[in-house]
Amino acid sequence: MTATRRPSILLILAVALAVIWTLLPIYWMLKTAFISPSDAVGFPAPLWPTNPHFAAIHNIFGFGYTDPDGREFLPAGQAPQIINGLKNSLIVALLVTVITLLIIIPLSYAFARFEFRGKTALLMTILFSVAVPPVSTLIPFYILFVQLGLTGTKLGLVLINLTITVPFVTWMLIGYFRNLPAVEKLARLDGFTRFGTLVYIIVPLAKSGIAVAAVVAFLFSWNEFVFATQLVNGTSAATLPTAVSGFLFLQPQPGLLSASLWISVIPAALVAFFLQRHIAEMNLVDPVK
Amino acid sequence: MCCVPLRGIIRTGTPMKPARRELSNQQFAMMLALPVILFLVATMAYPMGYAMWLSTQEIGFFGGFSSKYIGFTNYVNVLYSAEFWRSLVITIRFVFLSVLFSMLIGLGLALLMHRIKRGRAFLGTLIILPWSVSLYGAGVMWQYLSRGQSGVASAVINRLLGRSAEDSVEYSLISSAHIVDLLALGNAWNLAPLVAFFILANLSTIPVRLYDLARIDKLSAWQRFTCVTLPPLQYTLFVFTSITLILSMKLLDFIYVMSAGGPGDASATLTYRLFDLAFRRSNYGLSAAMSFYLLALIVGSTLALYFFWGRRLESEE
Repeated sequence: MTATRRPSILLILAVALAVIWTLLPIYWMLKTAFISPSDAVGFPAPLWPTNPHFAAIHNIFGFGYTDPDGREFLPAGQAPQIINGLKNSLIVALLVTVITLLIIIPLSYAFARFEFRGKTALLMTILFSVAVPPVSTLIPFYILFVQLGLTGTKLGLVLINLTITVPFVTWMLIGYFRNLPAVEKLARLDGFTRFGTLVYIIVPLAKSGIAVAAVVAFLFSWNEFVFATQLVNGTSAATLPTAVSGFLFLQPQPGLLSASLWISVIPAALVAFFLQRHIAEMNLVDPVK
Repeated sequence: MCCVPLRGIIRTGTPMKPARRELSNQQFAMMLALPVILFLVATMAYPMGYAMWLSTQEIGFFGGFSSKYIGFTNYVNVLYSAEFWRSLVITIRFVFLSVLFSMLIGLGLALLMHRIKRGRAFLGTLIILPWSVSLYGAGVMWQYLSRGQSGVASAVINRLLGRSAEDSVEYSLISSAHIVDLLALGNAWNLAPLVAFFILANLSTIPVRLYDLARIDKLSAWQRFTCVTLPPLQYTLFVFTSITLILSMKLLDFIYVMSAGGPGDASATLTYRLFDLAFRRSNYGLSAAMSFYLLALIVGSTLALYFFWGRRLESEE
């Protein structure tokens, strides 16, 4: 055949380089969770955990830990915040995902399949809202939320996250819907109404695209930091990222910081396999042509 | 549900005249789109309108919240502020490098994944991880990686030189001269996977036959890359240059966590400056005015990219 059977040395090197580039920053931070608190602040930092140590992982969830040497490690004082943050993040992200899907499926379907007056202008509005920097809408939203009493509430955070997820994911899905076979007329012959066509035919056809949209919406909301830190930080609605930032700015504890980052990275890692298979189906390149 | 008359379609082949209970395209599309568009307009128009109002006011906090109309003074003041111009230069450098790194690394990763047959799913899973990790998480990771105390440089160099813990020397990757470059690299770490997967999808549409022809013509590897691989990728490259440009220009989370605009204000991009002005120094009016310059920069540079690159590609098609 054309290519040589055995992978060349160059290719192996390139793969190694790509893997190191990708994993080094993640590894370097996350290893700290398995290093004893005294070694974790030592200098220079160890290259890997020589004596795996599990105090941080226990402490972050509010459990004490006694290591084999008999040293005792008390639960982290911030453990309740982290656990509460985890709960809030999950609730907010799930709500945002569900609402985003309910909103964007009809919306992107309409954009992908129908010609109607004002379509281009509306599409431009959506694209424009992708381009607006969150930092410039932060102050107005903050002031509005203070007036409406929405600061420190999960509802407020859900609304804010929707303004981020809806435009981006709509843009992703429009291109996807356009690539589906034109089944509308056949569906009508079979007696489906327009709405029935969308619910019973298009949605099942578009399963994998909708799943990518759901995952992306979840990730965006799960990872949102700027709005959360201004709108809910320090309240009972604080999400995981803001709770984690306490370790960063207030009280540097590398082990606990690392352990709490583990919690926030795990969902991302879980969906990575799915994303790498399906993300490119989304046709970000020319959704409207 | 089942009362759709069939003759309309059969006879004309185009959408039939709307029967009873049947909506026109316009009505149906509007029914689907309108609620969302109202939501989006409300969530876009309100903040933008408010920011516009803020930018023409002088906001005071002594003796309660007060505001006074001062016209375009804030906009003029922005132009007279040295901080703005400094941040503008930092932003341009950051965005230029971010886009360059993201596109080059993304292209490299895509070519690599394209070459790999076995274990591509596994490699792909690793490669997309940085994109799914949050920007604040990435900020923490890169800060931890590059600082002298906890960083990888100190750990590796001291170990290679065989120094004991006592006489180890600190090597920090963070310096005011190069923090912007480092931030751009970290940003590219986060963005490149997205670029890579879309280029990869595009690569697999290039017919293998072209590569066979290239071999017959005895093209070198570099010629093969520039003459066979690159041309069909151009439009994808253009779109992702625009996307990475926009995302980099509006980036705040990563910079806020990794360098907090520092050392000093060496990495205070416009987004960070805006944030600092509003939330640390409570100068809402000036911050709002500056945010419109940033918005103009984002829209302007995207349009420029389209006119100088994208439009040419479209006319070639």
